[in-house]
Amino acid sequence: MRFWALFKRDVLVSWRKKSNIYQPLVFQLLIVTMFPLGLGAGAQTLAKVAPAVVWILALLSTLITLENIFKDDYEDGSLDLYVLSGMNLYLATLSKASAHWVTTGIPVILFAPVIAVLMHLPEHTYGVLLLSLLLATPIFSLLGTVGSALIMNIRNGGMLLSVLVMPLLAPVLIFGAGAVLETSLGNSARGHLMLLLGCTVLSLTLAPLAAAAAIKINLE
Amino acid sequence: MTTALLQINDAQCQRAGDLLFAPVNLAIDKSELAVIAGPNGSGKTTLLEAVAGLSTLSSGQRLYQQSADINLWLQHSHYLGHKLGNKGNLSCQENLEFVAHINETTVNQQQIASVLNSAGLAGYQHQYASDLSAGQKKRLALSRLLLLNKTFWLLDEPFVNLDHAGCDWLYQVIAAHITRGGVVILTAHDQKKIHQLAHHHITLVAAIEEHSA
Repeated sequence: MRFWALFKRDVLVSWRKKSNIYQPLVFQLLIVTMFPLGLGAGAQTLAKVAPAVVWILALLSTLITLENIFKDDYEDGSLDLYVLSGMNLYLATLSKASAHWVTTGIPVILFAPVIAVLMHLPEHTYGVLLLSLLLATPIFSLLGTVGSALIMNIRNGGMLLSVLVMPLLAPVLIFGAGAVLETSLGNSARGHLMLLLGCTVLSLTLAPLAAAAAIKINLE
Repeated sequence: MTTALLQINDAQCQRAGDLLFAPVNLAIDKSELAVIAGPNGSGKTTLLEAVAGLSTLSSGQRLYQQSADINLWLQHSHYLGHKLGNKGNLSCQENLEFVAHINETTVNQQQIASVLNSAGLAGYQHQYASDLSAGQKKRLALSRLLLLNKTFWLLDEPFVNLDHAGCDWLYQVIAAHITRGGVVILTAHDQKKIHQLAHHHITLVAAIEEHSA
């Protein structure tokens, strides 16, 4: 019940504050239009880098939304409300991450084909692209809760959050973009996707622990 | 040995490594009010946060029903600090519903309406919290107390931002809560009336410097 109460509230807050949802998408669209300008508009030139570009854009556009997962709640005091309700912080973090995934992760997944078309990504890789993002976007949200919990009481903590979270996201990028790349070359993406799934499970179990600990440290 | 409902023994808090105040002791029972006083920066908020369970005491302990169990304490206490905890883009009703659900209490619309009514926010049920004035935001936060039905209220400067009518209302709410067997611990500056009602007065004094110049 508590899990759903927090989840419902977060989704509603994000839904009302529309910028949370469309900001990552506008960011992706703006940057992807730069690639033909910088690289030359040849479809083959673009297709070669497309798996990496689509993936990096999904990653970076999510990164800019992570800071506020806990920071907003810390600043307006509603963090105190659920910490002092006696709610398990592991559960609270899972709830926050789920709400972030629903309001940021899902739009990013749904928008990926648009970016892929603009980058001339080969059509037969779309399935793997969507699958890889489906596995990876929860990792973004989960690691985001850890980063956001660590920097919630720092004024300009966005940069610090990026520095903290990026190295952890590097393997995710390698396996995710790798899966799409292998598919585009006609190879099997199975290995990459399995490793990605491993990362998802790992962050699902460990990230909430780290985030809960970070919240406690910051409230001291 | 005393067996007060809540005992705070030799409590001390730190800020940036420095002890803020000399050890505080309090033994408070049902139907009692404690007022914490002290100049700005003396650590009133820090003490109240630590007692609430948001942070930890750097030394000393909080015993509720003779037990240091934090979960038991959290079930029966509600803390309202400077940061009010309202979400600006949720309506008053949605804010209260969230607080109720997160505390595993079920509420219906009528309860929320009547609570808002008594807080002087009648008709604001569907208004966004960000559209309220500072005093009204405070009233919204205070109305949580009426909704949650907890024994212990820990209030940090509850009278700040309230108009005269609001102060009178809050005074009555606190008095009624105490009559019902509740316990209130609050910090306040120059609220004579509340000081007269108080059973315990705590004045924070600076901790003695160990190394004097």
